[in-house]
Amino acid sequence: MNDSVVMLTIVAAIGLGTPLVFATVGEILTERSGILNLGVQGMMLIGAVMGFWATFQTGSLWLGVIVAMIAGAALSVIHAFNSVTLRVSQIVSGLALTIFGTGLAIFIGRAGSDALVGRPSRAIFESIFPQSLIDIPIVGPLIFGHDALIYLSWVVVGVASYYLFHTRPGLTVRAVGEDPASAESAGINVTRVRYIHVMLGGALAGLGGAYFSLALVPSWQDNPIGSAGWIAIALVILASWRPWRALWVAYLFGAAGRINFTFQTLQINIPANLLAMLPFILAIVAMLILASGKRGRLLGAPEALGIPYSREER
Amino acid sequence: MPDRPESEIPPAVELRNIDKSFYGVFANADVDFSLARGEVHALLGENGAGKSTLCSVIAGLYRPDSGDMLLDGKPTVFKSPKDALAAGVGMVYQHFRLISNLTVAENIALGNPEVGLRLSQSELEADAKELGERYDFPVDPTARIWQLSVGQQQRVEILKLLYRDARILILDEPTAVLTPQEGEALFRAMRILAGEGRSLIFVSHKLHEVKAVSDRVTVLREGRVVGAAETADAEPRDLARMMVGKDLVLPTRAPNESIGEPVLVVKDLVVEDDRGLDAVDGLSITVNAGEIVGIAGVSGNGQRELAQGIVGLMKVKSGSVHLSGSDVTSLSVLRKIKLGIAYVPQSRLGMGLAPGLDTDDNLALKQYREPPFSKGPMLSAKAFQTKAAELIEAFDVRGVRPGLPIRLLSGGNLQKALIAREVTQDHCVMIARSPTRGLDVGATATVRDELLAERDRGIAVLLISQDLDELLALSDRLLVIYEGQIAGDMPASEATAERLGLLMAGQREDQSA
Amino acid sequence: MSRRFIVEPRGLAPWWLKLLIPIGSVIAALALGALFLAITGNDWVEVYTKMADTAFGSGRGFAETLVSSTPLILTGVAAAIAFKMLVWNIGGEGQLMFGAIAAAGVGIWLSSSTPAVIAVIAVVLAGAVGGAFWASLAAVPKVYLGTNEIITTLMLNFIALNLMQYLVLGSFSPWRDPEATQFPQGRPIIDNARLPEFFHRLDWGLFIAIAVAIVAWFVISKTRSGFEYRIVGDSFDTARYVGIKVPRKVLSVFLASGAAAGLAGSILVVGILGKMDPRSLDLGLGFTGIIVAALARLNPIAIIPVAILMGALNNAGPALQSIGVPSATVKILQGAILIFAVAGEFLIMNRIKRPKRVADDVPAEAEVSSA
Repeated sequence: MNDSVVMLTIVAAIGLGTPLVFATVGEILTERSGILNLGVQGMMLIGAVMGFWATFQTGSLWLGVIVAMIAGAALSVIHAFNSVTLRVSQIVSGLALTIFGTGLAIFIGRAGSDALVGRPSRAIFESIFPQSLIDIPIVGPLIFGHDALIYLSWVVVGVASYYLFHTRPGLTVRAVGEDPASAESAGINVTRVRYIHVMLGGALAGLGGAYFSLALVPSWQDNPIGSAGWIAIALVILASWRPWRALWVAYLFGAAGRINFTFQTLQINIPANLLAMLPFILAIVAMLILASGKRGRLLGAPEALGIPYSREER
Repeated sequence: MPDRPESEIPPAVELRNIDKSFYGVFANADVDFSLARGEVHALLGENGAGKSTLCSVIAGLYRPDSGDMLLDGKPTVFKSPKDALAAGVGMVYQHFRLISNLTVAENIALGNPEVGLRLSQSELEADAKELGERYDFPVDPTARIWQLSVGQQQRVEILKLLYRDARILILDEPTAVLTPQEGEALFRAMRILAGEGRSLIFVSHKLHEVKAVSDRVTVLREGRVVGAAETADAEPRDLARMMVGKDLVLPTRAPNESIGEPVLVVKDLVVEDDRGLDAVDGLSITVNAGEIVGIAGVSGNGQRELAQGIVGLMKVKSGSVHLSGSDVTSLSVLRKIKLGIAYVPQSRLGMGLAPGLDTDDNLALKQYREPPFSKGPMLSAKAFQTKAAELIEAFDVRGVRPGLPIRLLSGGNLQKALIAREVTQDHCVMIARSPTRGLDVGATATVRDELLAERDRGIAVLLISQDLDELLALSDRLLVIYEGQIAGDMPASEATAERLGLLMAGQREDQSA
Repeated sequence: MSRRFIVEPRGLAPWWLKLLIPIGSVIAALALGALFLAITGNDWVEVYTKMADTAFGSGRGFAETLVSSTPLILTGVAAAIAFKMLVWNIGGEGQLMFGAIAAAGVGIWLSSSTPAVIAVIAVVLAGAVGGAFWASLAAVPKVYLGTNEIITTLMLNFIALNLMQYLVLGSFSPWRDPEATQFPQGRPIIDNARLPEFFHRLDWGLFIAIAVAIVAWFVISKTRSGFEYRIVGDSFDTARYVGIKVPRKVLSVFLASGAAAGLAGSILVVGILGKMDPRSLDLGLGFTGIIVAALARLNPIAIIPVAILMGALNNAGPALQSIGVPSATVKILQGAILIFAVAGEFLIMNRIKRPKRVADDVPAEAEVSSA
């Protein structure tokens, strides 16, 4: 039962989807404050390499996680500075950070005489519950079969969702992302809110990247994350900027990563490349729907997303 | 009304000798004002009289340069609107500070320190509902702001203040965005609030409203208080005269003898504004060749929609615009320019001129499609320069340097450049909005002379302005626009400031004072 | 929040500042790179010397640099003309790839008896049309539905990439070389459709690219259409006021941008690659083009030297492996250059001063409804 194709696919989907969960929720928090961060890919990679390095050096997985989050946040501070303080183009800043972050991550991975490339991980996140629980049909693998970070991702989603929609600070963020001028009139410090949420996004992106290097791949490569960062940016839209939906769409695309194998087993022949296009095509279709009409506004983006805000302009 | 003698209860708000200026220009000078508890006090005045500034001072948005403010008899200084609200003073601005995509309940809760860390949507909604009902101001707390009508949005703004238990509420031109019925509902609510002992300041330029809802009225003109009275005792004529002032420059130019045929004929025009309301509501005017027709009115009565509807920048919902007999109502902007409609918009840098382009380029904006500016697809830089040099010389535009973005020119020079371009194109109609607003004496004179020259050349000039001096100095005929319709039409010789002031404030001439 | 400095928008930036900032960004990035190299135990002098040597030190090296620059000139122009009008076309990658697909499609099936001139023109044009088409998938929704082009162009990049990979690696489509049995390859372009080389690997594509940059500059500054473009880029309202049809203009610029990127793809395919090779087309040329455009401050002529600089960096990268330094160093430099340039742009647009007295508020009259 637990070895069926469906079960294996679902379990794999959860595994492959988890980095997307972190990165997408992070970007949701950032975009909810009105800042568009196209640097997610770079931040994930930096998180991946720094997490791997930290664990490699010390043997501690959790230290790796913390270092990864700090690395992602550090890179994102640059974006926050560019976007919030200097108010320059968020698009260009984000892209610059992706290029910079990607280069830096590859560089760190290959630098020095004891380069990380090709080195096997010193430790990997593994399932935390005993095998006896995991063997329970269906429920076992689905509920008990995961490693600590997967459970952490569920907590993050729950906390983020509650934060955004059921707390006053969450309301504040949403207000800032919709209409910073009115939020400022209500006494909110837009600058501070934006800095914080950009950095949260960076930290979560770093965490997502670390999941690749600390749980999914056996050794360090130049790019263990594929285009996960870009997919996360698309997923934010598909999830309508809501953390719970992000969980489902992330798993859906985690499944897409696995689907090729699954389809082969089931002898369904859909080429991998065409499947890989799917998240992006869906994102565009979602954009087209969201762009028009009244219904669009309910599911739509924070209104001030991507627009630089200046306190003087009232 | 309280039983105790008035002298024992301090006014809710008292202002003494308030001065406030911006960049050296006085917005309020030596203003004394007092608001009693439980009173609805109207602030009356034209645009630029200083009403909004005064309110902003009371609401904590600005700090006065000098003077004292007393709240309930105690000297008070507000550091910010947040401060003021905490002390119970709140303002509903003309441009709402509401967040479109959030719900009513969420907007009310925003920035409110009394709402705890946990946000209970249901609690907030119940509170909002209860508040609405108490003041006969029902709103759906779960609705998002964009789903509400403007009148309902205004209610939310008021509810925001009531949620914080504001004792002093300031409403800045609240009825500008309301239908008459909504206005009635607002006045009812205001009286309920006053009955509770709250004090309200109501800013307006409409006399009938002031009469309908206020207990006392203070009139401001050019930053100073020119009069205060019990509303019941005040005559509309007197109020209008105070608003507008008696000492105005009388027209000294000779009326034009040779007025020609009708050139611009507007009939029953209806134009919707951005909100979907009929800003121009069945309006008809005729402008003849060689005539300056002036339209007076407080801003927000449809002037923008009228001008842009004629010119083609806004869609005409119904009615017609004829130019020398042909129907041009729904032609494109470019066609209308070519047919001879020139337009000096109120927004000089945002529309009339391209702020980042240099002066030479800007002076060619209307004619660049024709020779000598362009030969086929190619531009002739030389033609740009030559023409620009001519215009700069002829109109005395100063501060121009090659390559310098035009936005760096002073207001007066900007307007001279704009006028220069508009009057030198091939045209038969000139529509000008507030052409001398914010200009110094020299530039004002240049612009006015130019408009008179237009008239002498046989152009049909439509002058839309809030400046009565200007209108009286230039117009052959004067109209008043009020709530999207023409409220009055008279030859210049019969126009007085008082008469215009009444019409601008909504008093129809057939009504008795 | 109290202000320690006053930030004031600048009127006219001095010409030397406009030159200083890009140059300064490069120098700052090089300094940062030197720091990274030093920290990881490398000799930055050796590294930079090797880079300069590879890129400029020999005839062949210089030719390779120019080869690398050619697509960057085009993607740079593509980004510049769009950005100047606030059209955020970040889909240069995808437009380049689809241009490659289109060009390869034409170049594979032209009859070998077609005169070379016509064949070359056909394939190059196909690239431009292909790029414009790919851009239209984002442009049309933007103009008619108001759909945000940042996300759509970004997504289209990945769709094009996967499409390209599918055609050669994932299927036996006509784009795939039926004779390559070892490893999937693109089908070779017929000889008479290839761009002739003239100096090592450098082909005529360079001239096409330079010509496009010059034409772009020329159209923008000297033609009536370019004038309208500049007006729209400055103020939409003013453009409408003078009778320009803004949506049409936005659409045409967006398509032109796509065409330029598509041209880059076609030049690669019928030039140095000789076939549609997914790996060699997936090099981030579109995004690097954005860096080029930003550094050149959106000026088409300035793009040429900047593209050469970036091309030099790209060219020098692989050579670093031989001295034990990751070629990713180049990416770090490019990213850093852009970050500094972006931040430096702030200094061009604004002046920083110490306050003499507390700045006053904006007058309330500004709030009164107007225009």
